[in-house]
Amino acid sequence: MMLRSASRFAIAAVLAASAAAATDDVEQVDSSTDRVPLHTMIPDYPQVARRDRIEGEVQVCFDITRDGLPQRIAVRKSTNRLFEKPARKAVRDSTWVPLKKGEVDAGIKACRTFRFSLVPVQKDEPDGQ
Amino acid sequence: MAKNNGVFCHEPDVIGARINVRYFLALGALLLSGPQLAAQDTPKTVVGPRNVYLADGADALFAGDAEEGVRLTLKALEFAHGSRETKFAHANLCAGYAMLDKPLTALEHCNWVIERDPNYWRAYNNRAIVYLKLGRYEESEADIARGQALRPGSDKLKTVKGMLLDETDPVTESIEIDERRSVTDDGDDVEERK
Repeated sequence: MMLRSASRFAIAAVLAASAAAATDDVEQVDSSTDRVPLHTMIPDYPQVARRDRIEGEVQVCFDITRDGLPQRIAVRKSTNRLFEKPARKAVRDSTWVPLKKGEVDAGIKACRTFRFSLVPVQKDEPDGQ
Repeated sequence: MAKNNGVFCHEPDVIGARINVRYFLALGALLLSGPQLAAQDTPKTVVGPRNVYLADGADALFAGDAEEGVRLTLKALEFAHGSRETKFAHANLCAGYAMLDKPLTALEHCNWVIERDPNYWRAYNNRAIVYLKLGRYEESEADIARGQALRPGSDKLKTVKGMLLDETDPVTESIEIDERRSVTDDGDDVEERK
């Protein structure tokens, strides 16, 4: 009887130890800060916005899969709807470094802000004579 | 209406002409498929554009063939019926010569139209482009403003305005990508492309 309960205790102790070891191996990865971009697609400046000299900002939030692909892409903030489509497309076409074995996504969304601006071009002044 | 490099040529009754062509084709099909009707000696009407050269010239301009467009439109001017057709011919010649990089000739035709119809916004649109080609930016801007007063919100005039701004105040696109979660966060991890 004593032997049986001792062996049960030993098995329970081994299981607890292995569970603790397994917990130590798992690393929580925060998509909002820890995921490393692999390929960052830069959006095109919308033609109409450029024509009408419109500038703006769009924040797009999304999940990153284990394989490093974006999913559930959504616009969170936007100053002009003209910029939303190219921003979403840029995120859709971007990739991140896949998670390593033992890494687990913490389930926090990543966000990317795109700032579209038009910078005046300095005209070449002719040499003064 | 046709567009080429922001230049607009008016196709007088061209929609009507296209419909007429459709009618003409339909009529042809009817005649081909119904010889019995032809045999009945009933009156036949052939429907088509009144000034074929004008419609064909506009089509050529629309297709980007400025030389052919101008040639046909000059021919159309010879056979123009009434002031309306003449006006459209001159308006199309303005567009055609502008496309051919002959802005001074184009300007004469645009002026001709505007003198006779000062409320014709498309002529202002075309003349604004002509002035732009001549480097007369203030006059171009004035024509855009006149056109916009006559046709507020016109996309075509906005395009010309954009062309003018590209000449007078050129800009380059800049897109920054910020990986930070909050737009108000501070940090240095900003990628930039100019």
